[in-house]
Amino acid sequence: MLGLLVAVGRGTARWLARVGALARFAFGALASMPTLPGAGRRVAARVLLNQLRFTALQAVGLIVLLSGVLSYLTISATITQLSRVGASELIGELMVVAIVRELGPLLTALAVVSRSGTAITAELATNTVLGEVRALEGMGIDPYHYLVLPRLFGCVVSVCTLIVLFDVIAVFGGYLAAVAFGGMSGARYLGIVLSNLTTQDVVLTVVKGLIFGTVIGVIPSYEGLSVRQGPTEIPQAVIRGTVGSIVVIFLFAALIVGVLQ
Amino acid sequence: MTPPLVFEHVPLGRIRRTTVSGPAQLPVDADGHFSLEVQAHQTVVVVGDETSGVNLLGGLVLALDRVPEGRVLVLGTEVAALDRLAQLAFRRKLGYLPAGDGLMQNLSLRDNIRLPLSFGSDFRPKDIEGRVDVIVAQLRLTRVADRRPAETNAEDRRRAALGRALAFDPDLVILEEPFDGLTERAAAELLELARGGEVSEGGRRTVLITGQDLPALLRRRVDRQVRIRRGRIEVPA
Repeated sequence: MLGLLVAVGRGTARWLARVGALARFAFGALASMPTLPGAGRRVAARVLLNQLRFTALQAVGLIVLLSGVLSYLTISATITQLSRVGASELIGELMVVAIVRELGPLLTALAVVSRSGTAITAELATNTVLGEVRALEGMGIDPYHYLVLPRLFGCVVSVCTLIVLFDVIAVFGGYLAAVAFGGMSGARYLGIVLSNLTTQDVVLTVVKGLIFGTVIGVIPSYEGLSVRQGPTEIPQAVIRGTVGSIVVIFLFAALIVGVLQ
Repeated sequence: MTPPLVFEHVPLGRIRRTTVSGPAQLPVDADGHFSLEVQAHQTVVVVGDETSGVNLLGGLVLALDRVPEGRVLVLGTEVAALDRLAQLAFRRKLGYLPAGDGLMQNLSLRDNIRLPLSFGSDFRPKDIEGRVDVIVAQLRLTRVADRRPAETNAEDRRRAALGRALAFDPDLVILEEPFDGLTERAAAELLELARGGEVSEGGRRTVLITGQDLPALLRRRVDRQVRIRRGRIEVPA
């Protein structure tokens, strides 16, 4: 019994230490913003643009596919059932509540974690193992400035943008499904969806984009730069970064529903 | 006048790296203390095996690793005592070629040389390009300057890393294992470039070189060579 308690206590202490280190890292990254030198801003901006190209632009196809298929599946599976019980008006609420408000941000964040979160961890871990991070510090370049901040802001902007894209495509996909399978007129569908969409939904979407983007920018970066034992630790770091991001995103999604809705 | 680089009673045997850069770490029970003064315009080489602590010296000069006792004075300043931002600013006064070159793999050799200048100086872009062109030509990298490190050979990578270290034309240069895998002729050429080329002795840079050994051809060209074993100077040459 005592052994079990010791094991639980040790595990909890390790977990708390990890959370503390992650919080220090996130705070350090944000606190380093004002100290970014003027000349460094131009270089960091180039890294940021590169990150946006990779995280947002190159993910457009995946987001369109995910969103289109999800909305098609949702609408085609439910519209017939709802029509039978005379509740086809609920299709708009379903779209707004299930997809625009909840699944859109969540699936977008998961897509970005699987593409860019893994890439960020692997890249920064490789930078660390090859001594590039140490060399940057040796040249007087803050790794927060050159490596972390551009990725953090790239992820925040990308996730916000992709969530909006996901929602637009989902609503449009639902429109096609409602017209094709539900026998509903396009104008009626759009009218129902727009009447269910509130300002709060838009605000929540933005808030989720900011939070999820920050999580994807911070956790994979932290795990990548925390590699200590050489190349064999890189896959483990990628797993830690990916799983950690997914867990925190789901926890925040639940927290937002509990607190704000 | 204070020498540009002073190690005072540093217990090399009890230092652990705070950042990742290589597999070598000293056993914590090796209780050696290390003291050394590097005079201005001199080229001093410190050699030793993996357990000697020689691989820690560069990191201690730049305060990338912490000193539990003793101190390291660089250009009269204890860098480890500065706050983080001041440390970063101070390091721009020095030239540093880390072991394994530390070049950014996603940048071309030219961009690697440009990086410290474009990030840490207020020079105009045109002036930065001019400086980079001069360094690329001096290091005979013109042919491969637009290639990434993985597309070039070890000698070109080492040249580029040296070019990056000399970008700010520093007075003090720290070179970690700079000649590993190079021919003696290439090593001699890099040494001369690091020292400042064909200039009078008073115009030369102060250079600290660390590594496991020094090519025979270079032994006559350096001002002092010391060998350390388990954190202590063993055979002053």
